[in-house]
Amino acid sequence: MTLLSATFHRCGYGPVNVLSDVSVSIDEGEAVVVLGANGAGKTTLLRALSGMIPFVGSMTFGGATRSKTTPDAMVRAGMAHVPQGRGTITNLSVEDNLRVGAYTRRDREVAADIDRWYEMFPRLGERRTQQAGSMSGGEQQMLAIARAFMSRPSLVLLDEPSLGLAPLVTREVFDRVAELVSGTGTAVLVVEQNANLALKFATRGYVLESGEVVTQGTAAELQADTSIREAYLGGPTEATS
Amino acid sequence: MKFSMSSPSTRRVGWGLALLVLVLFPLLVESGTEEVTRWIPLAVAGIGLNLLTGFNGQVSIGHGAFFGLGAYACGIWVNDHDGQFLMGFIVAIVLSFLAGAIVGLPALRIRGLALALMTIAVGTLFPDIIRQFEGLTGGSSGLAIQTLTVNGRGKLQDRTTEWLAPGWSGISSNQWRFYIFATIAVICVAMVAALIRSRTGRALIAIRDNEVAAETNGIAVDRLKVITFGLSAALAGIGGAMFALIDFNLTPDPFNLTFSLNLLVIVVIGGSGTILGPVVGALSVGLFNDVIVKKVLPADLGLLGPVILGVTLVLSMQFAPAGTVGSIKHTIEERQLKRRIASPPAS
Amino acid sequence: MSAFFQYCVIGLSNGAVYAMVAMSLVIIYRATGLLNFAQGETSLIATFVVWEAHDRGLPLPLALIIGMIAGFLLGAVLQRVAVQPAGDPATAPLQLVIVTIGLLLVLNNTAGLIWGNESKVFDPMFGPSSVNVGGVTIAAQQIGTVAVLLVEALALVAVFRFTKIGLAMRSVASNAEASGLSGIPVARILVISWGIAGGIGAIAGTFAAPNLGMDATLFLKILVLSFAAMTIGGFDSLLGAIVGGLVVGLITDVLPRYVDWLKEMPLAPAVLLILAVLLVRPQGLFGSKQVRRV
Repeated sequence: MTLLSATFHRCGYGPVNVLSDVSVSIDEGEAVVVLGANGAGKTTLLRALSGMIPFVGSMTFGGATRSKTTPDAMVRAGMAHVPQGRGTITNLSVEDNLRVGAYTRRDREVAADIDRWYEMFPRLGERRTQQAGSMSGGEQQMLAIARAFMSRPSLVLLDEPSLGLAPLVTREVFDRVAELVSGTGTAVLVVEQNANLALKFATRGYVLESGEVVTQGTAAELQADTSIREAYLGGPTEATS
Repeated sequence: MKFSMSSPSTRRVGWGLALLVLVLFPLLVESGTEEVTRWIPLAVAGIGLNLLTGFNGQVSIGHGAFFGLGAYACGIWVNDHDGQFLMGFIVAIVLSFLAGAIVGLPALRIRGLALALMTIAVGTLFPDIIRQFEGLTGGSSGLAIQTLTVNGRGKLQDRTTEWLAPGWSGISSNQWRFYIFATIAVICVAMVAALIRSRTGRALIAIRDNEVAAETNGIAVDRLKVITFGLSAALAGIGGAMFALIDFNLTPDPFNLTFSLNLLVIVVIGGSGTILGPVVGALSVGLFNDVIVKKVLPADLGLLGPVILGVTLVLSMQFAPAGTVGSIKHTIEERQLKRRIASPPAS
Repeated sequence: MSAFFQYCVIGLSNGAVYAMVAMSLVIIYRATGLLNFAQGETSLIATFVVWEAHDRGLPLPLALIIGMIAGFLLGAVLQRVAVQPAGDPATAPLQLVIVTIGLLLVLNNTAGLIWGNESKVFDPMFGPSSVNVGGVTIAAQQIGTVAVLLVEALALVAVFRFTKIGLAMRSVASNAEASGLSGIPVARILVISWGIAGGIGAIAGTFAAPNLGMDATLFLKILVLSFAAMTIGGFDSLLGAIVGGLVVGLITDVLPRYVDWLKEMPLAPAVLLILAVLLVRPQGLFGSKQVRRV
């Protein structure tokens, strides 16, 4: 049932250490959120998980221990990572972006999956031959998420999906991701500064501050916690959204 | 802000030692003086290229053109105006500066690969232009720089120029030439060092690191970039002028793309973005080509020299990308940093 | 008038060779973002292998295939051993230029050491025959060179457009990080890209050598011309490399015959065109515009 379990004692960039003794775990099909201000280490955490940067610590994913690994190896193991800023492959068409997402697959259902994504996101279907870089932020976010799911992962890492998006669009993004989680049983780990939306979407959460986990609990517990409220949710009374 | 490498007194001692070596070298190693003299123009041109590429971030793979322009400008002037060496230098400096500034203008609008290709184009065009205007430059057959002397019968005659040490010094013309060139080089290094440490110097470094930020901070980016191009070309021109006055004979062939690539190698191997880097680079490459290759390798394996140089370049970029001087600086700074972390100064 | 067309024929077939070299340069630039000064020398070694194989009795087409394999292996090894460890071209561009200069020195002089300095005869792939069309002599080799260029270009476009590895190469060229996160083995794709660039270098040399002579200076002679082709066409466009190469060939072989002051300046037409393009339209004919994000 436990899909991912990781403890990072140290992790950073060269001489600069960012994470100190951070432990996270995720069960199959769970939706988990990591909250924190800028510079808390959220993105670094995701990068360590997906194999982009090395870490001192331990990680098991999908039953196997992972230490020194590469992003493409992690994709093959079933973990997809949508980076901050969406990571759109701008010079490729929408359809090519999706094909890239399926790069590690050897089955024949890729085309069928692509069609299913066009059904779910009609705007992508309309723009299938268009250069991905010419789409709006919201559309690119949908594309990035669809691309990540194309590899049929068991866990998707999402880095700040709300970044640069209007509130309405962000809401739509989170709604779709929630649908995907319940529909496909894929676990999702979302890193967000927009705590309101994120806590409504997830069942569990961690709060990172200066590279350490300072709080963790169910979404309800975190929403009720007054210090979290004040720091990330805008005050003692929760704003109606 | 960078840490200063060491205390001021240590640096003064360092400079003193360096100057001492410069003074003593030709006296002690007379046979090698001529070879080493040939490295000096390259070092000065390298300092110029480094100013532009290392400190200001504008790539140039065509500095051979400015070097050659300085060489021909000086050579033609000295040829036409018997013995006016100083004026020859000034003409070289002015013309090279102007040429650099002119090239620097379109360079404002392009960067990266496009800029590299533009400078390659300029560098490639130069020898062809020299060949084209053969009336002035002697074309492919070359330019012999000559002085007029009075012969025994009182007639003016052309004679190949050579260096003559003043009688009272008792040194050979090779040594005299070395001292002149070394003095010019030291002056150039000092001027560039002063420039880098000044506000203008900081401004041009700021342009390299983040042009937009520099502009929003009030730096006149365009003007400074063009001036830097001009200064960089002027330094190359000084090197060229010196080059012309070594053999007093010029052909357009040496000032080609290969020369410009060599210059870039000198800058990066020594350490781009450091003041002494190009000097160390010129010394290293000169030492390798003139001493190691010529004296150590057997004649028929002569091509092994460039192969070894190439391998060295490839490996050094993996292990010491900051060049010789750059790597030394980093090591010193790291040690200082570690020392400070281990025992922080009392606050 | 027929003289003009004669020069055009020469220019087009020479230009086809510049285009072939430019295609290698474009593949490398798209994949790794750098100008590979050593591309010609990788092609040189591959071409020497072709020559050697043919000299030992193999028919030229077979020798070419062997040379292509050699070029592929050489390009792949060089990327892995010399280029990849030297860092990212975006952050350390000067260092990578020095690496390619170093490779140029190593490869060029190694070729000289192995095969000597004398120019060797390289047989034309399409033989010595020619046809006469309206007073213009067109050699089979000249037609063949342009034909091979077009076939090569179509093959490359097909690989890029329709194969999985072509998709991966295009993806890495556009966004290496996102490609890795999507499961593409980026390092391996870069090695393959350099390998392909090296492999097609054998073709360029096979069609350059009969005219220019088979010796270590072969690709140095056309280095700047292939840079010009790349610049005119657009750094990241294969189609641009083809058009650029043909244009460079035309102006280099035709203009100096009619413009007197260009006679002493063989490289001037191409070089002046580089300057003109960079000043007026830096992205070339078909390249993508570089947008500066502030």
